[in-house]
Amino acid sequence: MSILSLNNISFSYGSTPVLSNLSYEFEKGRMYCIVGKSGAGKTTLLSLLSGLAKPSSGSICYNGEDIKDIDKYKFRSKYIGVIFQSYNLLTKFTALENVVLSMDIAGVKGIEKKKRAMELLENVGLDEDEATRRILHLSGGQQQRVAIARALSYDPDIILADEPTGNLDSDTQQEIMDIFRRLSQAGKCVILVSHSPEVAAMCDERFELKKVSVPTKKRKSTIF
Amino acid sequence: MYIIKNALRCISRSKGRNILIGIIVLVIATSCCIGLSIRQAAESARSDALDNLSVTATISFDRQSMMNDMRGDRAEGGAMQGEASGERPQFDRDQFQQMMGGASALSLDEYLTYAEAESVKDFYYTLTASMNGSDSLEPVSTDTSSDASTNADADNMQGIQGDMPQGGFGGGKGMMSNVSQGDFTLVGYSSDSAMTSFIDGTATITAGTVFNEGTSEYDCIISEELSAYNSIATGDEITIINPNNESEVYALTVVGIYSDSSANENSFGPMGFSSSDPANKIYMSYTALESIVSASSQVSETITDETTGRTYESAVTGTLSGTYVFDDADSYYLFEEEVRDLGLDDTYTVSSSDITSFENSLTPLNTLSKMAGWFLLVILIIGAVILIVLNIFSVRERKYEIGVLTAMGMKKGKVALQFMTELFTITVIAVIIGVIIGGVCAVPVTNALLESQITSQQNRNDMVEQNFGRPGNMQGMGDIERPNNNMDANADFDKAERPSGGIVGDMFSQGADYITEINSAMNFTVVLQMLLIALLLTIISGAASMLFIMRYEPLKILANRD
Repeated sequence: MSILSLNNISFSYGSTPVLSNLSYEFEKGRMYCIVGKSGAGKTTLLSLLSGLAKPSSGSICYNGEDIKDIDKYKFRSKYIGVIFQSYNLLTKFTALENVVLSMDIAGVKGIEKKKRAMELLENVGLDEDEATRRILHLSGGQQQRVAIARALSYDPDIILADEPTGNLDSDTQQEIMDIFRRLSQAGKCVILVSHSPEVAAMCDERFELKKVSVPTKKRKSTIF
Repeated sequence: MYIIKNALRCISRSKGRNILIGIIVLVIATSCCIGLSIRQAAESARSDALDNLSVTATISFDRQSMMNDMRGDRAEGGAMQGEASGERPQFDRDQFQQMMGGASALSLDEYLTYAEAESVKDFYYTLTASMNGSDSLEPVSTDTSSDASTNADADNMQGIQGDMPQGGFGGGKGMMSNVSQGDFTLVGYSSDSAMTSFIDGTATITAGTVFNEGTSEYDCIISEELSAYNSIATGDEITIINPNNESEVYALTVVGIYSDSSANENSFGPMGFSSSDPANKIYMSYTALESIVSASSQVSETITDETTGRTYESAVTGTLSGTYVFDDADSYYLFEEEVRDLGLDDTYTVSSSDITSFENSLTPLNTLSKMAGWFLLVILIIGAVILIVLNIFSVRERKYEIGVLTAMGMKKGKVALQFMTELFTITVIAVIIGVIIGGVCAVPVTNALLESQITSQQNRNDMVEQNFGRPGNMQGMGDIERPNNNMDANADFDKAERPSGGIVGDMFSQGADYITEINSAMNFTVVLQMLLIALLLTIISGAASMLFIMRYEPLKILANRD
């Protein structure tokens, strides 16, 4: 059973249609890449999937339940982890504080939150010194890692990432992709938005968007 | 819990913005604190003064009411002279004199009846009469002419001279009896407690003793000046004469000589009557003076004034004045109601020089308190507007942060709560500092403002004095010795040079002991009020910014940033 499904969704900005009658199903343990040219609606689709925007028509279902019927704050803070293209971290906070705050918002209980956050940051390649630095004092790659750690902090089922490697050098890009791969292997549904063929090649499935058109579905064989 | 933690973290990470907000709140808080302190000081001073105020009151003929009645009668009858012809209406002197003549002072029995009111703590009375001296007893005077003033002058002055409290009318006979003004004022006291100037220390015996309480002997005490002026010692006999009938002579024995410090302030009474000079007052017991007045009435003759054609009795006229003592101001107000129930006519009024003096003493502080109230209101309004604007700017500046938090799943309400917590924390810190600064500054600021108020008040009095061409000070008009009220619990009272008020009406009031200084202004009430103000400012200024937070959509914020 799919964890997230698109059922004939359409979306338009005013009178300009962006997505039209889109249907797709995302499953746990797989890594998806939404590709398409600029203006094809990749980021818009990501916004719809993360609950930040509502489709004009159709429905998006999480575990079979329309996300309209789920509290949007609960959906965003518990079920889905979003890694924004520009990271959207709280710049005056440290990396650790960003992650802990995310856990607080999600209502994660326990006194070990700080320890757990530190582990997450270490898992994405940040040491203690980097973890206690304010975001503004971290590089783009380090911020990307913090954003990933934050998205994982409350253990969501779905990870959405918008251009996760867009601003990174090839080595860092590979490291980040490795992290996503490990997540999908751990049973998470990882959905990436990218226009990079390399990134698309590393995903299990590619979901191509075309301007106001029904996307074509190309099922790939397992890469790894 | 994390909201508070997050709020505190945000405060510490955005020092510049928060210090700016804090400074503004601090200025508002300090100003409010001083304003509230002034109001509190006025209230405390009033309350303390009232607690310590020993109130005395008198019953007197309501002259104002009589004048109003007279005007009313004329208006109804349309009998104003010259009214029909459009000329300026003439004052009906005959009617006025008839009404004044018909008005009688209360008798001792009536005074005693009202003294039975439950609110009355004590009651005493005095009898005052005007007499001439003899060759061996001349009044202390800087004027070589010491002849008795008579007739028209006496008519004019009868109402305001002598020992009637607050200009009230006394007199055993009619108000306008055509009597001569003697050189001396004889005051008969009903009891020792009535001699308040000796109780409060204003006057003190320097030789001999005070006459025995309630004695019917013609014993008296005289002032040091009179004693020196006429070379009189204790044990000497002095002779006083009825100014209307020189054959009526009474011999008094001087049993004591007193000095009166208030005599320095009241060296001469209005219009320079020697009898109004405190040095020319002779004190004796009520019983003795009453005996003289009774004896005089028994030999009274009817005299016709050749100039005016009016007739009057030659008997010495005694002016009876009763003084009621109360525990506090509330008892006084209750007494006003009780005497009406006991049958006091509406033509009489109950008045208290202490209450008037008390109100006068608070005039500058009350004015300051009112000004502080308006100042407080303006500061709060301006402060609230500034804070609203600042918070709106602050929220707009933090739009991205709001977008991130809501995108992470934090409810807008919680974001708003965090912002409110930040604002409230800053406000409370600023208010605490403001209360400390305000508390330190309140007393000197209040005292400085109070001083300027008193100066302004006195300048107005000076102006009135200048405009009138003579001092507006009419303190010598009454000799009701008020207890020296100790109202220094929270404020210092200082005798002002002149009576309060810049209007003629106030000129004729008692001299005011203005509150010139307050010692403390801050108390728990002010702190509580400041906290409420902090809460109010937070809610008002926070509410506006909350509206902005609620309007923001994370997607738009983040998309715009991208």
